[in-house]
Amino acid sequence: MNDNIIEINTLNLWYGENRALTDVSLPVRKNKITALIGPSGCGKSTLLRSINRMNDLILKCKIEGQIMYHGQNIYDPSIDVNSLRKRIGMIFQKPNPFPMSIRDNITYGPKIHGITDEKELDEIVERSLMQAALWNEVSDRLNQSALALSGGQQQRLCIARALSVSPEVILMDEPTSALDPLATSKIEDLACELEKEYTVIIVTHNMQQASRISDYTGFMYIGKMIEFGDTESIFNRPTENLTERYITGRFG
Amino acid sequence: MFTDQNGFMKKSKKINDDAIMRYVLMGVASVTVLIMVFIILFIMSNSIDAVKNIGILEFLTGDTWKPSADKYGALPLISGTILVTVGAILFALPIGLASAVFISEVAPQKAKNILKPVSEIFAGIPSVVYGFFGLIVLVPFLRELFPDHLLYGSSWLAGSILLGIMALPTIISVSEDALRSVPDSFREASVAIGATHWETTRKIVVPAAISGISAAAILGIGRAIGETMAVMMVTGNSPLIPEPLWNIFDMVRTMTATLALEMPEVVTGSTHYSALFLLALILMVMVLIINYFAKVIVKRTKRKFGESTSFNEGFISKHISAGRISSIKRSAWLTLLFILSMMIVSLFTNLILSVIVSSILTILTLIIGKFSIKVRPADRQKIAHAALFAIMAFVCVVLFIIIGDIVVKGLPALSLDFITDYPSNEGRSGGIYPAVIGTIKLIVGTLIIALPLGVISGIYLSEYAGDTRLTRIIRNAIDTLNGTPSVVFGLFGMAALVIFLGLGHSLIAGCITLAVMVLPVIIRTTEESISAVPKDLREASLAMGATKWETTMKVVLPAALSGILTGVILSLGRAAGETAPIMFTATVVFQSSIPSSIFDPVMALPYHLYYLAAEVPGSTTNQYGTALVLLIMVLSMFMLASVIRHHNNKNIKW
Repeated sequence: MNDNIIEINTLNLWYGENRALTDVSLPVRKNKITALIGPSGCGKSTLLRSINRMNDLILKCKIEGQIMYHGQNIYDPSIDVNSLRKRIGMIFQKPNPFPMSIRDNITYGPKIHGITDEKELDEIVERSLMQAALWNEVSDRLNQSALALSGGQQQRLCIARALSVSPEVILMDEPTSALDPLATSKIEDLACELEKEYTVIIVTHNMQQASRISDYTGFMYIGKMIEFGDTESIFNRPTENLTERYITGRFG
Repeated sequence: MFTDQNGFMKKSKKINDDAIMRYVLMGVASVTVLIMVFIILFIMSNSIDAVKNIGILEFLTGDTWKPSADKYGALPLISGTILVTVGAILFALPIGLASAVFISEVAPQKAKNILKPVSEIFAGIPSVVYGFFGLIVLVPFLRELFPDHLLYGSSWLAGSILLGIMALPTIISVSEDALRSVPDSFREASVAIGATHWETTRKIVVPAAISGISAAAILGIGRAIGETMAVMMVTGNSPLIPEPLWNIFDMVRTMTATLALEMPEVVTGSTHYSALFLLALILMVMVLIINYFAKVIVKRTKRKFGESTSFNEGFISKHISAGRISSIKRSAWLTLLFILSMMIVSLFTNLILSVIVSSILTILTLIIGKFSIKVRPADRQKIAHAALFAIMAFVCVVLFIIIGDIVVKGLPALSLDFITDYPSNEGRSGGIYPAVIGTIKLIVGTLIIALPLGVISGIYLSEYAGDTRLTRIIRNAIDTLNGTPSVVFGLFGMAALVIFLGLGHSLIAGCITLAVMVLPVIIRTTEESISAVPKDLREASLAMGATKWETTMKVVLPAALSGILTGVILSLGRAAGETAPIMFTATVVFQSSIPSSIFDPVMALPYHLYYLAAEVPGSTTNQYGTALVLLIMVLSMFMLASVIRHHNNKNIKW
C-alpha cells in the first residue's frame, strides 16, 4: 500500500451547465502539505471543496469520478458525509468563528460528536488552542466572544476549531487571503507545524506561500490539473510551458 | 490510527434523526400553511353568495349601502376608504419624508440615535389609543377650528389626520432606510464638485433613494387602508359619498369600519353576512395589490444598488433629461397647487373668491421660487435645514402631545386599586382588573399557539424548503395574510371559530384569532433572521461533520435568536393592542369575576377603552387610566424588543 491518504481519480464536476473540473487526478501524500495553485476561477477551490463534499450544499452540482479516501470512494451512497467531514476538516477564506465564546467555538465540534465530559472538553480546548498557537493569547479569556479577536487570531481560532475533532486531513481554502503579512506568516508557520500530525491541502493564489510551505504542488488552469509534482521541481523545473509562464508571472 | 476503518463512514443513527427532524418540521409547517390557506378559502367561499345575489358590478358601483333595505352598493364605503387614505398620505408623506431626510442627512449622530426610536414609538401606540386620542382631543379641536363646517367634528378630515399620524412611522423608517442605503461615494462626489450639503441631499441623495421612498409611501397607504378602530372612532361613519367629492368636512365610512360596525349584528348566512365577506375580500385584494407594488419597487431598488455600474448610468441619464423637462414639471406642480387650493378654499367661501385666493397663492409660490434662485446656496441650505428641523420638531411635538395628554390625564386615575379592582357603574368608577388579566391571558395564549407554529415554519421555509414553485406560492400566501387588515381576522374568527366551530365568544377563540394574525409576522421574521446568518457559519459547522439539524439548532438558531425574539415580541405587542380581532371573538364589556375556563369570554384593555370612549359618557378619568395602562403595557414590550435588538447589534457584527 502506498502513502497516499487521498487519491482523486478523473474527477469531473459541473455547476449546472458550467463544467468546473475536467478529468482532474491528484494523489495526496499522508503528513505532507499539498498546495493547489492557479489563476482565479481555475477550479482549485472547487476541487478542495469536493474533498469533504462541501459541494453537496450547492444545488445543481453534478460530480463524476472518484475520490478515494482510505480506499473508499467518498461519493459512495453508503458514506456518512458527517463523519467524513469530521475526518477531513476545513479552514475557510474568511475567518468565520461562531458568534459564541472562544471556548464554545472549540467545544462545538467535540460536543456534536458526542463528548460531554467537561474535563475532556477542557483538555481538547487547551490542546487545540496550543496546536493553533493561540493558547498563550487567549487562555485568560476563553469565555469572551470570539468576535472580539483580531482577524489573524480569528483564523487561528478557526484552525483550532477544526483541530478540536482530531481530523486526519485539513483543507485550507486561501486561509490567509483576508489577513495582513504578520498574521499570514503566523498561519504559514502553523501549517508547517501541523504537517507533523496532519495532512494539509492548501489552496493559495500566493505562489511564494506555496513554495515556502508545501511539499507538493498542483497547478490548475481552467478546470484541469496541468501539472503536479514535488514543489521544488514545479517551481524550478516545470515541464509544462503553461506552468512556467504562470510561475514566472507572465499571466494570472 | 483507525481501528474502525471498515465501518467508519457508514451511515449512522444521526443521519436518521436528521431525516426524522426534517419530516417533523415539514409536518408543522404544512399545518401552518393549511391554516392560512383555509382562512383565504373561507373568506372567498363565504362571499360567493353575495356575488350571486347582488352581482359583483352592482356591488362595486351601487351608491347606496343600506342593509336594512337590502341595498348593497359598496361604492360609498370603497370611496370612503380611498378618500381617507389619500388625505392621510397627502398629509403624512411630505412630513414623513422631511423627517426621514432630517434624521438621515442632517441630524448629528447623537440626535439620530434618539430620533429613530422616538419615531418608532409612534408605531407602538395601539390603534384604539389613537382613536381615543382622536375622539377626545382631535375631534373637539377641529370642531372649534371650523365651527361653521363641522357640526360634530367627526369627519373625513379627522380620519385623514389621524391615519396620517399613524402612517408616519412606516413612512419615516422605510424612507430613512432608503436614504441611508445610498452609497456615501455619491455624496462625496457631489460635495467634491462644490455642491452644498443641501444640494447634495436634494439633487443626489433623494433622487437616488426615490424608489425606496415610493415604497415607503405605498406601505404607508397599506397601513392606512387596513386601519379600523382609529378611523371608526373619528370619521362619523355615514355611508355616503362626500358632496362635493373633495368636501373634507363630510362624514365618511370606510370598509373596515363597516365590517366592525355591522358584523356583530348580522344574521349568519344572510346576504348581508356574505356581503360583508365580499367587502373583506375586496379589502384584502386592495391591500394585496398595494403590497405587491411596494415589493416590486423595493426589489428594483435592491437590484439597482446591487449593480453599481448600471445604477450610475441610469442615474446620470435620468438626470440629463431631468433638466429639459423641469419647466414642464414646474408648471404641472403649479397647476396642481392651484386646483387643490381652490378645492379647499371653495369649501369655506364662494367660487369667485376661492379662484382669487388660490391664484394669489400660486403666483406667490412662483415668485418665491424665482426669488429663491437668487439666494446664495449656503443661505438656501440654512433655510432648508431650518425647515426640515421645524418639521421634525412638529412630529416630535405631535407625539409628545399624544403621549403627554394620556400620561398627564391618566396618572390621576392610576393607582393600585385601579389595577386590582373590578369596574363598577359601567366602568365609570372602579378599576380594570378583569381587563388587565384578560389581556395578559390573550397575549400568553397567542404566544403558546403562534410561537411554535411560526418559528418552526420559519425554520423549515428558510433552511429546508428550498426555492420551488410551491414554496413561492406559500410565501405569497404568507405575505397576503401579513398585509391583511386585522378586522378581517376578526371577521374570520367570528364566522369560523365562534359560530362554525361553536367555540362561542371565548378566550380560546380570541387567542386563535390573534395567533393566526401574528403567525405570518413570526414566520417572516424567523425566516429573515435566519437567512441573515452568514453562509460561512453554516459551512464551518457542516465542515466539522455536524448534521444539518445540529447546525440549525446549535449555530444558526442561536445566531438568529435575538432577531426572532424581537419579531415575536413586536408582534405580540401589536396583538396586545388590537381591538378589531377580539371584539367579535373573545371580549365582553363587563365581568365581575375572573373566568376560569378558556371557553369563557374575557375583558380586554383595548376593547374596554373602546367601549368606555364610544359608549359610556362620563367615564373620562377611567378612559385615560385604561389608555395609559394599555400604552405602558404595549410600549414596554416594544422597548424590550428594541433593547434586545440594540444589544444584539452591539455584540454581533457579521
